[in-house]
Amino acid sequence: MDSSTTYDIIVVGGGHAGTEAALAAARMGANTLLLTHNIETIGQMSCNPAIGGIGKGHLVKEIDALGGVMAQAADRGGIQFRILNSRKGPAVRATRAQADRVLYRQAVRRIVEHQPKLSIFQQAVDDLLVEGERVIGVVTQMGLKFRARAVVLTVGTFLGGKIHIGESSYRGGRAGDPPAIALAERLRELPFDVGRLKTGTPPRIDGRSVEYSMLQEQPGDEPTPVFSFLGAAVQRPRQVSCHITYTNSRAHDIINSALDRSPMFSGQIEGTGPRYCPSIEDKIVRFADKDSHQIFIEPEGLDTHEIYPNGISTSLPFDVQTAFVRAIDGFEKAHITRPGYAIEYDYFDPRGLRPSLETQPLKGLFFAGQINGTTGYEEAAAQGLVAGINAARRVQDKEPWSPRRDEAYIGVLIDDLITRGTNEPYRMFTSRAEYRLILREDNADLRLTETGRDLGLVDDERWRHFECKREAIEQEQQRLRDTWARPEIVGTEKAEQVLGAPLTREYRANELLRRPQVSYRALMSLPGLGAGVDDPKVAEQIEIQAKYSGYIDRQHEEIARSLQHEQKKIPMDIDYASVHGLSSEVRQKLDQHRPATIGQAARIAGVTPAAISILLVHLKKRQWLDKKTA
Amino acid sequence: MKHADADTIAAVATPPGRGGVSIIRISGDKVRRIAEAVLGNLPAPRYATHSVFMNESGAIIDDGVAIFFPGPNSFTGEDVIELQGHGSPVVMDMLLNRVYSLGARPARPGEFSERAFLNDKLDLAQAEAIADLIDSHSEQAARSAMRSLHGEFSQMISALVNGLVELRVYIEAALDFAEEEIDYLANDDVTRRLDALQAQLASVISGARQGSLLREGAVVVIIGEPNVGKSTLLNRLAGREAAIVTEIPGTTRDVLMEDILLDGLPLRIIDTAGLRETDDPVELEGIRRARAELDTASLVLWIADRASRGAETQLIIKTPPVIEKNRPENVPVIKVWNKIDLVNEAAGMRDEEWFISAKTGAGVEVLRDSLKSRLGYHGDAEGVYMARRRHLTALAAAAEALQRASEQLHRDRAGELVAEELRRAQHALTEITGEFTADDLLGEIFSSFCIGK
Repeated sequence: MDSSTTYDIIVVGGGHAGTEAALAAARMGANTLLLTHNIETIGQMSCNPAIGGIGKGHLVKEIDALGGVMAQAADRGGIQFRILNSRKGPAVRATRAQADRVLYRQAVRRIVEHQPKLSIFQQAVDDLLVEGERVIGVVTQMGLKFRARAVVLTVGTFLGGKIHIGESSYRGGRAGDPPAIALAERLRELPFDVGRLKTGTPPRIDGRSVEYSMLQEQPGDEPTPVFSFLGAAVQRPRQVSCHITYTNSRAHDIINSALDRSPMFSGQIEGTGPRYCPSIEDKIVRFADKDSHQIFIEPEGLDTHEIYPNGISTSLPFDVQTAFVRAIDGFEKAHITRPGYAIEYDYFDPRGLRPSLETQPLKGLFFAGQINGTTGYEEAAAQGLVAGINAARRVQDKEPWSPRRDEAYIGVLIDDLITRGTNEPYRMFTSRAEYRLILREDNADLRLTETGRDLGLVDDERWRHFECKREAIEQEQQRLRDTWARPEIVGTEKAEQVLGAPLTREYRANELLRRPQVSYRALMSLPGLGAGVDDPKVAEQIEIQAKYSGYIDRQHEEIARSLQHEQKKIPMDIDYASVHGLSSEVRQKLDQHRPATIGQAARIAGVTPAAISILLVHLKKRQWLDKKTA
Repeated sequence: MKHADADTIAAVATPPGRGGVSIIRISGDKVRRIAEAVLGNLPAPRYATHSVFMNESGAIIDDGVAIFFPGPNSFTGEDVIELQGHGSPVVMDMLLNRVYSLGARPARPGEFSERAFLNDKLDLAQAEAIADLIDSHSEQAARSAMRSLHGEFSQMISALVNGLVELRVYIEAALDFAEEEIDYLANDDVTRRLDALQAQLASVISGARQGSLLREGAVVVIIGEPNVGKSTLLNRLAGREAAIVTEIPGTTRDVLMEDILLDGLPLRIIDTAGLRETDDPVELEGIRRARAELDTASLVLWIADRASRGAETQLIIKTPPVIEKNRPENVPVIKVWNKIDLVNEAAGMRDEEWFISAKTGAGVEVLRDSLKSRLGYHGDAEGVYMARRRHLTALAAAAEALQRASEQLHRDRAGELVAEELRRAQHALTEITGEFTADDLLGEIFSSFCIGK
């Protein structure tokens, strides 16, 4: 049965990747269909109810700068906001919001429903329509066919999903949702490398059964931080606190004595779990000398009593879960509302993707999110955005776009995935970014809004907002360069107070700002330096850019050096067997990854500088021959 | 369009340790700046200009000839300058160091040719040859690097790298996992570790600069009666005036050990003539040290005077007992007849004996090749020496980064700038240790700390 409408783009999945993909494609003018097995779960947070954190908050701000939805939804659904690493340098500061699941989901749903050119349809997808080497549509569970020029698959953990609790296991996509088995089997027939990953969640607890007086309170920051560059939501939800408790040796003993019933240790689970988010049983086995582990008690929402005890994800049998939870301070009478579980799912080796997130074997098919081996809402959303952009660009016959490693964490994410692959659920950390000092939360808009505007993602409101800020920064920077601090005007006392020592000669204001101990506000208090700007975002930007200037210059030099390779494209049809002088090992690696640029080739593990030189020589030779025959 | 490799490369273009002149070739955007700093001004293009080569304080390292080839009309198509000096490895090393400190980096094997090709300076027929060249040179460089990494040097480097990784694990964990209770930035332990690392690195560098590590080559023992021409031969092999040569027997007796470069292979030559009975305390100490080196000898060079013993068919030399006693065992022996010019014999190798004239040079080339092959060395321009030179440059860059890290740590403990400097330090050491990726680092963090919200 053929559906009457043909779309430009079909996005399969309504999670964080799917919604960003669909919204981006529609905003760029593509006629887009979002297919989900359940409209009610669009924008659902299936793991812990929080957005952001170190590395992840950076992604959220970048997605926002490119017109994405995540930051705005977090601002509308957030019930506790904090800036992590606030006492460390600006590059590693990151925003994190505890979100009300329902409010967050509603915020996403509202934006999706109001997006012109975007339709929603509720049906699970069972099959892809393939013609030769390109995808031309999908087939739903009830046999409906939808045709499109590009398909974005964002199916999360639903592909061949299998849930484990103790010795029992069953098929499932997320507790309470069916898995996508038919689609998984269909995709396994296609030429993709499939692997299995594992992730887990903790048992949820009824907050009314928790003794909060035993717990350490963790309130949000004041003033409440904001995610979106557009500013805070007009109506912020009521803000609440999180709490902290700890496991103890009694809980550890209970877990230790039940390890033989853990699917993790019995070999029942084959997939690889993340090293940075181990289950509580894993922590206790691997770090046996630690007699206590931190647990963050995160509220699930304002209208529910359920809490999410972050730090005790487990797949132990339910009776063991109950026993060890009740051994923990404050949880003595805890009532578990949903058992913790581990879930195994299929993912596809992301080294089979192009930087646009289009699959190499099938034209028009894009993968985004957990299907590519990542974990986390933010990582998924970032990929969804890039896949949506490139699906639209494919339909519009434009060159693919994807940010570079020096432009965005999104670029780091995608480049890591496609050049190095992953064998555990991939999560963003700031240490993954070599240009960490440049890729900050505070300047994500300055880095990306203009590109977003060119891509057609940034609306007029955001653009005006951005232009104002950028102009204010540039003006003030120019003023600081032109303003001189003179010893006789500043005076000894004020100079000592702000600068730590009297001025010995005239200085430009921007030179003084570069000194580590001098803040912008304090500098502006010196006589003769003017009032400065009021907008705290502008002042912050000026201060950070001044403090980091030496480092930023050096990183820009490094970037310039790497760019020449980054921009040198390797032809798609290159036959590595014909490249004289490459070792067979390197040849095999290049053949497997098929890097798009010399820069990517250089980052593949095992590809030596000598191999890159040989490749450059080969490309040059080829170029020569082409010129001759042309 | 010029192949826009922004960095500037430099290397000795002549085989090291050989001949009277050595050439350092520099190519890239920084050539003009380097020329101005080293020579005092930029020489006129394509003229051989006599000049002095200066260090950073203006003192003269060497004098020689400089030729400047502005791009694109140069071998590589970039700005190139060639500095021709007097060829002593020590002097060339100082000069090269000076050039590196001005922003050049050591050239990879075959890199000048590679750039020449990429900038349309070589024709297509040469492309395959260049691929081969890069391939073979890089393999050889890898082998050289391996060889240079044996022993003490290697142990010191790996201890250093382990320390650096540990420190980075502490700092990166504190930055990326702020909610885990591992804020080591506030901890004095971090300062202590960084101080220790700096001290460790400084001692590796100063050890290497003194030469002992750079000269960890093969040990060769020369045995022969006085005045058979040992010193003359040594000079021939080293290509410079290494030892004093006179007609008076025993001239070299104070020279117990001599380090030479044989086509890039560092050789420590021990002349057993010096190992004689003596009461002189200074000489005794020298003899004690030379004897210790004898145990590590890879080869014995046994020299006799063909003119005075020409009638003998076999090389049986009467040696004083003290020398016989010091002859290392189970070590290959190369038997050399010197002074064939006095008896008009042909040079060359016959029946495992070598016939040469150190004075005229006849047969020395054959002997040189035999020495290299007996020592298992087949290198040309890229030897252990150059590999080590690169290591030292990497170590110096790492030391600078650690110094800045220390300043950052003391000034404010924000951490991300300390982390940046440590990343740079590790990146500099990549040359020696191989790649250490962000994922490797995360792996270390996860195995060191229990992370997991």
